[in-house]
Amino acid sequence: MTRTIHLTLDINGQRHELDVEPRVTLLDALREHLGLTGTKKGCDQGQCGACTCHVDGKRVLSCLTLAAQAEGRQVTTIEGLAGPNGELHPVQSAFIEHDAFQCGYCTPGQIMSAVACIREGHAGSDEEIREYMSGNLCRCGAYNSIVTAVREAAEMA
Amino acid sequence: MTIMAPRKFGDSSDGVVGGRQTRFEGDLKVTGAAKYALEHPVENLAHGVLVPSTIPAGRVVSVDMQAALASPGVLLVLTPEDDFGMRVATDWGGNRPDEPYYPLSREVRYNGEPVAAVIAESREQAVAAAKLIRVTYEEAPHVASLDDPNAGEGNLLEHLSASWGDAEAAYAAAPVKVEAEYKTPREYHVAMEPHGLTAKWDGDQLTVWEPSQWSHGMARSYAEWFGLPFENVHLISPFIGGGFGSKGAALAHGAVAAFAARKLGRPVKLALTRPQNFTGYGGRAATRQTIKLGATQDGVLQAIVHRGASETSTYGVWPEQTGAATPIMYKVENLSSEHRVVPVNTVTPGALRGPGKNPSAFGIETAMDELAAQLGMDPLELRLKNYADRDYQSGKPWSTRRLREAMTEGAEAFGWSKRNHAPRSMRDGRTLIGWGMACGTFPVIQAPSEAMIRILGNGRVEVVSGAIDMGQGTYTILAQTAAEIFGVPVDQVEVHLGDSRMPGSAIAGGSMLAGSILGAVHKAASAARDELIGLALSEPSSPLRDTGANTLTFSGGRVSVGGEGPSLTLPELMQSLGRDVLEIRRNTLPDGASMEDQHQAWTTMAKVEGPTMGEYSMHSWCAHFAEVRVDEDFGTVRLSRMVSAFDCGRLYNPRMVESQWRGGIIMGIGQALLEEGLVDMRNGRTVNNNVADYLVPTNADVPDIQVISVGVPDYNASALGGKGVGEVGIVGVAPAIANAVFHATGKRVRELPVTLEKLI
Amino acid sequence: MKDFSYLRAASAEEASRAAQQAGAMLLAGGTTLLDLAKCGVTEPDTVVDITRLAGLDTINVGEGGLTIGALATMSAVADHPEVKTQFPAIAQSLSLAASAQLRNMATIGGNLLQRTRCAYFRDPQAFPACNKRAPGSGCSALGGVTRNHAVLGTSEKCIATYPGDLAVALVAFDAVVDLGTRQVPVDDFFLPYGEAPERETLLQPGEIIRGITVPASVAARQSVYLKVRDRQSYEFAAASAAVGLELEADGRTVSDIHVALGGVATKPWRALAVEQALIGKALDADLVRSASRLSMEGAVSHGDNAYKIELAPRVVARAILQLAPSLGDLA
Repeated sequence: MTRTIHLTLDINGQRHELDVEPRVTLLDALREHLGLTGTKKGCDQGQCGACTCHVDGKRVLSCLTLAAQAEGRQVTTIEGLAGPNGELHPVQSAFIEHDAFQCGYCTPGQIMSAVACIREGHAGSDEEIREYMSGNLCRCGAYNSIVTAVREAAEMA
Repeated sequence: MTIMAPRKFGDSSDGVVGGRQTRFEGDLKVTGAAKYALEHPVENLAHGVLVPSTIPAGRVVSVDMQAALASPGVLLVLTPEDDFGMRVATDWGGNRPDEPYYPLSREVRYNGEPVAAVIAESREQAVAAAKLIRVTYEEAPHVASLDDPNAGEGNLLEHLSASWGDAEAAYAAAPVKVEAEYKTPREYHVAMEPHGLTAKWDGDQLTVWEPSQWSHGMARSYAEWFGLPFENVHLISPFIGGGFGSKGAALAHGAVAAFAARKLGRPVKLALTRPQNFTGYGGRAATRQTIKLGATQDGVLQAIVHRGASETSTYGVWPEQTGAATPIMYKVENLSSEHRVVPVNTVTPGALRGPGKNPSAFGIETAMDELAAQLGMDPLELRLKNYADRDYQSGKPWSTRRLREAMTEGAEAFGWSKRNHAPRSMRDGRTLIGWGMACGTFPVIQAPSEAMIRILGNGRVEVVSGAIDMGQGTYTILAQTAAEIFGVPVDQVEVHLGDSRMPGSAIAGGSMLAGSILGAVHKAASAARDELIGLALSEPSSPLRDTGANTLTFSGGRVSVGGEGPSLTLPELMQSLGRDVLEIRRNTLPDGASMEDQHQAWTTMAKVEGPTMGEYSMHSWCAHFAEVRVDEDFGTVRLSRMVSAFDCGRLYNPRMVESQWRGGIIMGIGQALLEEGLVDMRNGRTVNNNVADYLVPTNADVPDIQVISVGVPDYNASALGGKGVGEVGIVGVAPAIANAVFHATGKRVRELPVTLEKLI
Repeated sequence: MKDFSYLRAASAEEASRAAQQAGAMLLAGGTTLLDLAKCGVTEPDTVVDITRLAGLDTINVGEGGLTIGALATMSAVADHPEVKTQFPAIAQSLSLAASAQLRNMATIGGNLLQRTRCAYFRDPQAFPACNKRAPGSGCSALGGVTRNHAVLGTSEKCIATYPGDLAVALVAFDAVVDLGTRQVPVDDFFLPYGEAPERETLLQPGEIIRGITVPASVAARQSVYLKVRDRQSYEFAAASAAVGLELEADGRTVSDIHVALGGVATKPWRALAVEQALIGKALDADLVRSASRLSMEGAVSHGDNAYKIELAPRVVARAILQLAPSLGDLA
């Protein structure tokens, strides 16, 4: 066997213990070891944004983050975005309302990116939203609706 | 799978066919709860990775796997030495050579072809071990691409030729002529979800969790590979992260995973890496075509001569038909069109959004723009002047063709009448502005389908079908259909899709699914309602029996006699009938179709009907209007405005349709300006095999796109009046943009994509 | 990725010691290291995580200039209000790079060390020959697809483009890299490829970038980073220019000018010839355009990348003209 390390990860406010090889990325830890498959693997090389989640409140790519690097940080994934009773986050609701997705595979990354985009103050205009959402590729082509959804959620925030 | 209650927006009419119901499965997708293929929890998984070839042609002499086998966690290494004991499966054309199947080929036919596989305890271990595999090849000469000097002229596919009148003579006699060559490069699907699967055996039962555009067709392939009865294969695909034509067939990596799982006696998960997604299956073939247009001085077309070619592989024929749209766009008395395929060392190309029609439209729609420029005529006027009053190729009348309305209403919304037709007539500082237009089309294709309706004692209505939702909105429109027929809110409906053990369905491809499956669901639901009515009016226990009515009304969640007198909810009715469930299955095959007919219908393309197989010629149509801004110094092109008008018949859910149209247009923006597989001529490898180097549009590349529907219901095209939606959106986008670039700059770019070095 | 062990360094000294071990590599944002490890280009035995080191993520704008800690993230610097006003080209070079997510991860020190995007460098399985990966093995890019390859600073051994944006702005404005025990001008920090393309920087084993300082100047305050690319966002430069300009009171005569290019050279490329041609001159558009052409002195085309030789001077000229609004709407 290859060597493993013991990690304690704080994900969506819950403590998770796991033993993994040091080379395991946060993305693979979430998907393969913790059953948190909402975070998607699109390219596994930092080029598509599907794996976007929040580490200490900032949006990052979990495919280029080692799970070990996330120890001691607060990780938030799409599964942790809705309220305690399952009420959707305003960005999630806006995505449904404006049909801001089709196949849904890039959607968790888009939503995590959108929540951060609004929090960063980068949702001031459609042009700014487009630029600051450009790290999340959507091949179904839902970009118009994504901009509308982010704008509306930003106005509500 | 049970769909969570949908959020309901808009007015109460949204829940019926034609309403703007929000995406039925939306909650699952925005919360991360929707489970895609690789996300189904399976115990005791082993993980596989492929080793692709690094030469374009030749044979594998030996595979040194000692280091890989000694690597931690490795369970199995597969090479061309292994006898998989598999047989070739039927292809889309219905051919099934009686030959063994080697998913890891000894003969190498393209760079990136899988030649070995490693299975290990973890994916990380498999990936690391795969890098230790050493393959010794005996190289053979190769043809890298269509541009390779050794590629030759290829083979004429006569069944794709079209000819009437005397095109060459009419062209020679025409007072106005244009002739040019147009080229499109290799393009790729780039679905956000990579291909991959988990395969699990229980005795001789195989379960496959794999993204699929066609659950039954792909299950058949697995069954044929392994010599199993169809029923022994269970392919599960409730969600699919984009397909665009790439996920309609079972592929070598699926065969490897399933074989390894059987050999190891434990389930195997195998995902293609992003680079492997560029060679694991074929994208759109590169094409070239020459078009000659002859016209009168006042712009009446006299002749079209078209000669096209597309690349294919050395082991399969996939024509990317450059003449697919050419014969049906315009009224012309003399036409000749031929298409050739040129074998090169690539994976066999495949269907990518708008196959055939897409590069074909780039040719004819750019040529029409060139003719308009030569005539000094408005390109819109030229198109209207040569409007096809019927299908000159088949000789049949159109079922519906509102392309004229698409052009005029699109032009109106765009403000086309303000266009100065001279190139370089609009600028903003160093930015040149141009307006271009082009039209597109895609045929109406239908296939028999089957659906089951289940009404439960609690009043819930279930729609069950093997059909696929890859984002087009299948869940939503099936729920709307059932809701309408049973007069219940959409949230009283459940939809179960994407499973080869459910009733069979047309492929989610060729824009044929919605029209085909809605016909089956509508038929089954109507039959179920009739059955309920019959029971309610005849069963002694039914409170409605004594009404003496001849029929009943389903409305507002209640069953009544025309809304008068006593009424029951569905659960009350079911209870009174003493029924826990009422189940009805219907298909759209002719009555009396045998089980063999049914199996063939769901698992092959044999019963697919083309656009001119009936009395009419049936197609979707569109007109695109684009505004580009071109930096005069840098040659960079940015799309600043787009209006597209569509005739797709009746829209089952305009919210979903508009999304699909925009999606097609955006893929067309990428095709026009960004997308190109770059092939190293020395070894045939696609070197930009990732999404940082193969560029698809980002959010910032896309302006607000206005889409307009000008369609009317077409009941020849489908039971509920719709024509195809998904493919047509991309067709004509690239020429509209390239024509706008010409209008902006005066430079005619005839080779996609229109990148900056072609303009500076 | 090859199996490796993970060490979380508690101090710069520990990190430095660990990094001197054979097979050890420093891990900060991870956006280059893990990417290349997945490609099989880098195969560390030990990854030394330095992201928890304290005090290395500060950003200060003072009288003397700008100091940035090596562990400050790209986004932190890009969004820093005083960096945006005092060093606009630096802020712009960062906000035009990568994506918001990558900028939240990648550090300034790591950003300097990002490796080329040469497709041949990144694909060792299919292209074993690469002088950068395996000195003496040859260059697969020569004779291949070269659309994104360098036209300046190349040799028969390597034509790989330096991909970064920030370093272009840093080179333009005479920034200095703080290596703890020594201070090195950024322009010297990046080595010309010449005969040894495997050596890209002056960094010695165990050395850790501590930070960067950029001297304050009028030109740095009146600066722009212009990036041209096929895609509107999230792409490396086809050609880019960092330019700072100080004019005399007449609004035309150049008293100070800084020009550097990105996307076209094997290292961040200072264009001294352009600067020298313009210093002390009264600007007009034609002069700017002809002077900008001097940036391509010695440029070599490899076929697909010939357009860069035409494009890059135009980018330089546009950037200069944008900073001289008195010349009218020429930009």
